[in-house]
Amino acid sequence: MPKGKPYRDLMRKLFDAGQIFEKREALQGIRVLEVCYVVLGPAACDYLAEFGAEVIKFEGQRGDQMRFVTPYAYFWKNMSPGLEIENHNKYWVGMHLGNPRAKELFLDLVKKSDVVVDNLTPGRMAQWGLSYKELSQINPRIIQLHVSGYGSWGPWTGRTSYDAVAQSMGGLSSITGFEERGPIKSGVWIADWVTGLMCAVSIVAALNHRAKTGEGQFIDYMQVENVIRFLDWTWLYSFKTGENRKRSGNRDLAICPSDLFQCSDGWVALAAFGEPEFKGLCTAMRQPELYRKYPNPTQRLKDENARKILDRITQWTRNKRVREVEALGSKHGFAASRVLSAKDAYHSRHLRERSTIQEYDDPLYGSMAQQCYPPRLSETPGRLKWSCRPLGFDNGYVFTKILGLPPDEVKKLEEEKVIFRWNPQIPSHCPPPEWDGVSGVKLP
Amino acid sequence: MDDKNIVGMAKDKEYARWAYAETRPEDAVKKPEALAHTVVIDASYGSFAGLFASSILAEIGAEVIRAEPPGGDLARKMSPYGMMIKDSGLAYINEGRNKFHITLDLTKTEGRKLFSKLADKADVLIETFKPGYLDSLGIGYRQLSKKHPGLIFCAIHSYGQHGEDAEKHANQPGYDIVDQARGVIMSITGEPDLDPELPGEYKRPLKHGSWMGWYVGGAWAAFGILLALFDRTRTGKGQLIDCSPPEGLLAISNYVMQYFHMSGQEMPRAGNYDYAVFPYTYVACKDGYTFISGFTDPNWTALCEIMNRPDLRAQFPTIKERLNPQNQPTIQHEIEKFTTQYTSDELLEMVQEYGKKPDKKGTVVTGRLENPREILGREHWQERKTFVRCNDPYYGELLVPNSTFKGMSRTPGRMKWACRRIGADNEFIYQNYLGIGGRRLRQLKKAGVI
Repeated sequence: MPKGKPYRDLMRKLFDAGQIFEKREALQGIRVLEVCYVVLGPAACDYLAEFGAEVIKFEGQRGDQMRFVTPYAYFWKNMSPGLEIENHNKYWVGMHLGNPRAKELFLDLVKKSDVVVDNLTPGRMAQWGLSYKELSQINPRIIQLHVSGYGSWGPWTGRTSYDAVAQSMGGLSSITGFEERGPIKSGVWIADWVTGLMCAVSIVAALNHRAKTGEGQFIDYMQVENVIRFLDWTWLYSFKTGENRKRSGNRDLAICPSDLFQCSDGWVALAAFGEPEFKGLCTAMRQPELYRKYPNPTQRLKDENARKILDRITQWTRNKRVREVEALGSKHGFAASRVLSAKDAYHSRHLRERSTIQEYDDPLYGSMAQQCYPPRLSETPGRLKWSCRPLGFDNGYVFTKILGLPPDEVKKLEEEKVIFRWNPQIPSHCPPPEWDGVSGVKLP
Repeated sequence: MDDKNIVGMAKDKEYARWAYAETRPEDAVKKPEALAHTVVIDASYGSFAGLFASSILAEIGAEVIRAEPPGGDLARKMSPYGMMIKDSGLAYINEGRNKFHITLDLTKTEGRKLFSKLADKADVLIETFKPGYLDSLGIGYRQLSKKHPGLIFCAIHSYGQHGEDAEKHANQPGYDIVDQARGVIMSITGEPDLDPELPGEYKRPLKHGSWMGWYVGGAWAAFGILLALFDRTRTGKGQLIDCSPPEGLLAISNYVMQYFHMSGQEMPRAGNYDYAVFPYTYVACKDGYTFISGFTDPNWTALCEIMNRPDLRAQFPTIKERLNPQNQPTIQHEIEKFTTQYTSDELLEMVQEYGKKPDKKGTVVTGRLENPREILGREHWQERKTFVRCNDPYYGELLVPNSTFKGMSRTPGRMKWACRRIGADNEFIYQNYLGIGGRRLRQLKKAGVI
């Protein structure tokens, strides 16, 4: 129990899931132009969109590659789940910025925007006359972020990077995996997602600076360097010892005990590093002599000691149920939890109460239930409004509402192929097969 | 710097030169900082989520005051094999950057008073205690925000501050392994479930090698804090941030939640395979491991031509077959029969040679898996100042990663110092913020408050 009822009551009130749409959005009024594809760039913009930014996403005629990257080549109502995951609350425009007339439209939008993000090959925006040099001339408050594997300059600038390459070039894969086996890639596109997150951090930092000074800026962000930054003690260890950090499975080489253990009915993650925590664990195990032998956390970290301690815990959990070990953790003050799967998370009352998983009714796709980006903010909570969209779905809204072009002019731009919509021959560009032609359309 | 090292493999050399001029590492110290004059108290304990969050803020200019108990933060002891440099482990030294270090005993009345007074002067407070602990001491969000409504209070804990599990497990401390276990990604990371050749003992969830739960949690916390600071510039109001690191991982778990919603199905652990793009995998080679991809039909054809395996192309002709999880172990093992005969450099050469052929069918990408020592030696990272080597007056010779925000042209992130010993800044901070020095400070020290 969190200590004290007043605290619990305040938490319930501050984070009431039913009140989200009664509250402000942190990035309300911030317009972001997204010239991005695949996962990293779109994710960075998605994080901003769920906290209130108006993100306008530009796609070329073939569409974002994620319209075609999806598990088992599975599509749902014509939609690619691979596209859905990094594209919420956005406005969708079909327009290729390499087209000179499209470029003019884009520049008109830049005048009315706050942030421009691209994850194209470094220099591509400059070739189109859309580098920060040009953009800042027409809007000195603009913040422009470019992200790529190796950045905009340096010996490796221009090298292609994929998520799996960034994981390996940054050293993450070399330290992930079991001791006696090979390196293992993350189960997700971790190097894309976390780099996108740090891009969003730098954009909001730049917005804070602009709020105080009125100054915009250019940001050059490197994906592989970001992976390097996330590897905690790896680098200082190599520097001090001349050795590579070894793979150690689920065992934590810097915290003992901290590992994954097998119970009679599943897996439990367990950690107890502080003295009182380890004492609590040994009490739960009814092995007080183990605590007496290794009270000191630093001493427990010696390889030989760590192996002995972990072995004792392995023997102990073998005949326990996961739920029992979790309850003992809560009773005795050590950390113990099951491994959650997608199904567990989907049905978790805890995550629903916390608005970590939100439900919404999408005008195109119907009922949705999925994760909304953290953290939970009491006054400006993140929220899900709508899902991804067919190619060029919001052309009308963007050009009529924001640029003031009359609808027949927008139509003309479409006829002249300056802007475009989904290709009916390509299902994953298109609305769901049963779409009525009007649902979800903001302005025709 | 040598022009060839600036333009590298750039498609547009002028752009590379321009970008270099805008973001030269040597100029960083002369430029302003995004969070100048922002005061952050990091009272986190035993948590690198809290420490990484405050590192991010410190790199971009916040004045971060690290408040530790008099004996030091438990996190100082978290170090591989127990390696210590004086009072700290390697992991802590890495995240002590640009922070002032004070001590403060919150279990003592006097300590709580000091804490409360410091919080009045801060813009942001970060804590990682068990949910409700600070509230029970009278210095939680409920009490502090009454006096100081502009305060941004960021509480980080595995189970969060509210919700069913937070109420059930509030007595558990937060740890990276639990953050990873509850973050869903761990359930689908590890050796492939469906590979019949894999020994059963390895068919289990696997964490990321690094503290991915803590670091991702810390990055989300910093994101939330910056959002709240931005909101405060417009409204003057502070708020409470409830950051649960496992949710930080769940939020980026690819499409497993969406796929479950749409199909009612879960996805098995894929190992180095990927159910949405394959081959796009790590394979063994003669001298280690290398990445190799050939996913779309033309690229798969190219890979099969390089391996001289037309039979494989015929057996798995479309992406439907290649994305079938039952087929992926077979494809992986067949590719490895080829790659294990060559070194990673020989494979790269073969792929590059193939790429020059006029009748090539598609593009194959390959690249050696780098280990930390190789990475430390790469010229690109040296030129970009990815690592900072320094001689710390207390900790001696150190090497730590630089701020990744150093590419912000107007307000670049930077490293000023690596770490400080326990209580090193008591005198400066207490004098500067609370006017406490000399005799009074010695009294507090004697009473065990600081």
